[in-house]
Amino acid sequence: MAKLSLMFENRLVKEVPIGSRPVGIGRSPDNDLPVDNLAVSNHHARVFFEAGRLVVEDLDSLNGTFVNDLRVERATLHDGDSIWIGKHHIKVDASGDTPILMDSKRKPVAPSINETMVLDTKQRRDMLQQAAAMGERSQFAGRLKMPTLVVLGGNSDQKEYVITSRLAVIGKSKDATVRLKGWFKPEVAAQVNQRDDGYYIGPGDKTPRVNSKPIHGPVRLNDGDVIEICGLRLSFVFRE
Amino acid sequence: MQIVSGGVTDVGRVRTNNEDCFRIVAPLHLFVLSDGMGGEAHGEVASALAVETVVKHCEEALDNPAVTLFGEQQAAWSEKTKRLSSAAHLANTKIFASAQKNAEQQGMGATLTAAWIDGSKLSIAHVGDSRAYLLRSGTLQQLTSDHSLVAEQVRHGILTAAEAEESHMQSVLLRALGSQEEVQVDAEEHLVIARDILLLCSDGLTRMLIEPEIAATLQAEPDATKAAQKLVDLANDRGGSDNITVIVVRIGAESRGWFSWLRPGARKHAARNGAAGGK
Repeated sequence: MAKLSLMFENRLVKEVPIGSRPVGIGRSPDNDLPVDNLAVSNHHARVFFEAGRLVVEDLDSLNGTFVNDLRVERATLHDGDSIWIGKHHIKVDASGDTPILMDSKRKPVAPSINETMVLDTKQRRDMLQQAAAMGERSQFAGRLKMPTLVVLGGNSDQKEYVITSRLAVIGKSKDATVRLKGWFKPEVAAQVNQRDDGYYIGPGDKTPRVNSKPIHGPVRLNDGDVIEICGLRLSFVFRE
Repeated sequence: MQIVSGGVTDVGRVRTNNEDCFRIVAPLHLFVLSDGMGGEAHGEVASALAVETVVKHCEEALDNPAVTLFGEQQAAWSEKTKRLSSAAHLANTKIFASAQKNAEQQGMGATLTAAWIDGSKLSIAHVGDSRAYLLRSGTLQQLTSDHSLVAEQVRHGILTAAEAEESHMQSVLLRALGSQEEVQVDAEEHLVIARDILLLCSDGLTRMLIEPEIAATLQAEPDATKAAQKLVDLANDRGGSDNITVIVVRIGAESRGWFSWLRPGARKHAARNGAAGGK
């Protein structure tokens, strides 16, 4: 499988395989490849497969993305290319085959059916440590980060809302996390669902806008994203 | 709230015995699903014990709210959430004790995903890798986190969700009922509204189908039991490599209030309601 290796001064920092989803690169911890350096934008660039070819796309970063010393907005990548972001560089290994594309309707047939087993506490710790060593556990893990909706504008009963529920509702309902007031506000205008790989905002009776764009289905929220819904402007941030 | 539900369990296409178990207690709006594990027939013993214990504990508590609560409860939870969490702890104790007593049951265990609806409040108690989803606004909202090794690796950023789906370690659980003396239970409360569809399912469904397929099937079939059967059939078509269990709960509005008279068909319904008692 194709992979990216993040290098700093010729030292390997992290390696990630490139699957069917884009690999996010940036300073924010929710990236697949977090790069902890002030010269790097929160969401700096992403790498993904497009029609069988590997593509890097700069996400309007402040200091730019370079492929083999050439500043690019978007470029196809080849095996052995280097992507430079700040003082870090990312080696491209495209020798593996391309992944199954996202639009393949069916899931691949489940691999060998193993009997379900449960790990005891020690086995579990060992196994997680092993896995962590393989993928170098994210430098941010361990610190508790609270996903928070900070009110930027509009009429709300609190200045910010910490998301503690797996399904946080924005709406008029009295059980909503973010409670909307007003006559014609829907019970559930939108909702934020916690999944294993992050927080997704999805429409309810209204279609929220994320970073000024209306969303057509659940969208994964990145640190700093701005949500507009029913006259409210909210910023999604991870608080330590 | 008007609640209609249906459930189906199936052995699948590969295995010879069904270690899944479920129970719908319709009058209570209580739904319990469990996926057992352990060699021979012991997975079946574990999942049946889990379901039976949870249902019994909840029913007892309705008759006598003073029945002891097991495990830790959060003060803010409703009585039903506390009870459901307590039931999961009790089921853990019972399965663990049974495995201790009977040497041949060593290593047996079970997942548990239980839901209890009270008005607009949905209580969930969960251990393992069965799942609860709420279908709302056309998308499945996941209400539970899998207590599996791969899911934990995704949460730590070690694997992507796509890699986890292809991992051969999917069957490795970090938590299950009956494997240890104490268990950590995930309990949570959610708001439900009219038109929501609650889905409880074992991993035999979620490993065979992708979420948009599940959502589309639930939307296309208005009958709860038929929808559950269609999901099971679809999972079998894809190979049915594990037991498949599905509970579908449709939450509808009760036509009450002044404005309901203005809705088409409201008079007809009202007339039928009136006739139900007499005649």
